[in-house]
Amino acid sequence: MKLAWQNIIHDRSRFSVTVLGVSFAVFLMVFQGSLLVGFLRAASRLIDASDSDIWITARGVQAFEFGTTLESRVREMAAGVPGVMQTDRVCMAFAVYRTPKGKQQVVALVGADPNVGKRFPVPDVPELAGEISPDAVLYDVSDRDLIAVPVLPTEVEINRHRASIERQIQGYGAFLGVPFLFTSYRNAIRYLGFGPDDAMYVVLRVSKGSSVSDVKQSLQERLPEVDVLTRDEFAHKSRMYWTIKTGAGGAILTAAVLGFLIGLVVVSQTIYANTMENIEEYATLKALGAPKSLVARIVLTQALLCGAVGSILGLFAVIPVIDHAKSLIPWIYMPWWLPVLMVLPSMVMCSLASIASVRNALTVEPGRVFRA
Amino acid sequence: MPKSRLTNTVCEDASELASRSHYSAASAVKTEVEPDLSVHEGTSSRFLGVERATVSFGEGGARVCPLRGVSVMFKRGTFSLVMGPSGSGKTTLLSMLGCLLSPDQGSVFVDDVLVNQLSETEKTAIRQKKIGFVFQAFRLFHSLSAIDNVALGFELRDPKQSQRLEMAQELLDKFGLGDKSHQEPNELSPGERQRVAVARALAGDPPILLADEPTASLDAQAGRNICQILRNQVDEYGRTVVVVSHDPRWREFADRTITLCDGEIEQKENDL
Repeated sequence: MKLAWQNIIHDRSRFSVTVLGVSFAVFLMVFQGSLLVGFLRAASRLIDASDSDIWITARGVQAFEFGTTLESRVREMAAGVPGVMQTDRVCMAFAVYRTPKGKQQVVALVGADPNVGKRFPVPDVPELAGEISPDAVLYDVSDRDLIAVPVLPTEVEINRHRASIERQIQGYGAFLGVPFLFTSYRNAIRYLGFGPDDAMYVVLRVSKGSSVSDVKQSLQERLPEVDVLTRDEFAHKSRMYWTIKTGAGGAILTAAVLGFLIGLVVVSQTIYANTMENIEEYATLKALGAPKSLVARIVLTQALLCGAVGSILGLFAVIPVIDHAKSLIPWIYMPWWLPVLMVLPSMVMCSLASIASVRNALTVEPGRVFRA
Repeated sequence: MPKSRLTNTVCEDASELASRSHYSAASAVKTEVEPDLSVHEGTSSRFLGVERATVSFGEGGARVCPLRGVSVMFKRGTFSLVMGPSGSGKTTLLSMLGCLLSPDQGSVFVDDVLVNQLSETEKTAIRQKKIGFVFQAFRLFHSLSAIDNVALGFELRDPKQSQRLEMAQELLDKFGLGDKSHQEPNELSPGERQRVAVARALAGDPPILLADEPTASLDAQAGRNICQILRNQVDEYGRTVVVVSHDPRWREFADRTITLCDGEIEQKENDL
């Protein structure tokens, strides 16, 4: 196997080109993968942040961002189903936001009852009591420029209602291209002009000892005109809507696949050229009695070594770039397992790239060694 | 014939190396190649050679026939020289003896085994265990140092050999290349490269050595060194050496000379 390593490092410029090709492919795959993971995560972030077991939505709602109001009796009927411990309300709608300087901006306003979830960003929770007013409005730090408030708190207008921006939060940045604002449920319906008993989503917690699926089934039987989904089902539905139905996920996935293909072509060409340059040496090896398996192993090892070195360099390059990209794309997210997972396709890529080369090395006629 | 001090020591140390490797080339091949293929087992006259071998390439008007019904046997422990003009079939004969080419008709024997009906894998095993090759163009691995080239020879014949680097170094020491063992082939002179190639061919102690124009790219002194080294392989180790060459200097080292012309044997000198 020393021959494999020596062959590739002997021509350093060619080795550099190969490694650069792999690095570029790994960079693209990890970056696009981080966009996709971040996109999926952002698409269901608020649903995941709830501590609920079941979500009730209007029939046919595809994603959290496109809910519509439910009849007020839905919440009351749901509360009466055995096994339902608690019901809360969530709403989300677009509103017009105006800064003190008169700058106007469309925002996505989210309101929720205090018990929806510990991670759900609402102001009227006991942890924040005394720090901010119960009707405060929160915004994500990544939307600071769009919200344009010089100090906290600042009085603004939402749908011509006076509102107080009081706190920055993190991790709930713009996903739709418009900033999210978070406030209490009662405040949100006031800004949005909903009736006091209206709700877009009824969020349920199931009592201990009750089965979520049984409660879900009972709810669906009692409320056939709405959709009853577990939290995970609604999160999945929301993710699928944004990634599959809008085509956004497809575009990101296509770019990741293109990264893979670019790497494949670059590595194929350089490994092939390297093999053909050394084809006489493979003939010599075969003449000296090297079995085909050894010849194939040498070519494959060369490809995998290029893959390993290229992958490491690609990962070293992509990690700081993703960190920087967060200022532009707040929802980009690279989980720890993504770079680890990308090593596999890069190795597959290099193995595929070596197929033509292995074939040539194996079929070379050993008798050519006697030609001067 | 006077032997140089260099080549004498080469032989002694190579013998020592071979015994230390606990390696028996003959037994290794016997286990890989079925005994029933050894149709002429025990007949020493069929140790190495061809019988009524005909080889042709191409078809129709482009058909050439480099060997026509040639029969020649090489006895164990002899040094044979094959001469003849270009296109006479010398290299074709050597390719058959090296299990690199099968005849259209006739038989090829290597170490008493009829090889032309063996599978490619079995022929590969015979090349690996029984035959050392020396080429006109050296055929060293350009990215490996001299010592790694020789070590590769040991590795191919015995992948489990853990002391191959030490053994390769000793071989190179005895060929006068000890201080150049870490140089790459392109840093060596042609004569030095050929000595590395011979060391690689001898790694693992093969009983047969086939050499194709081994001195064609060398100056007179370097060529003579190679002649001497190969001669000693016969005298000291009892290896069977077959050299194909135009170079008349080889005649004085050979036990026997075969001259080919137009694919047929024209003359056998000192026939054994």
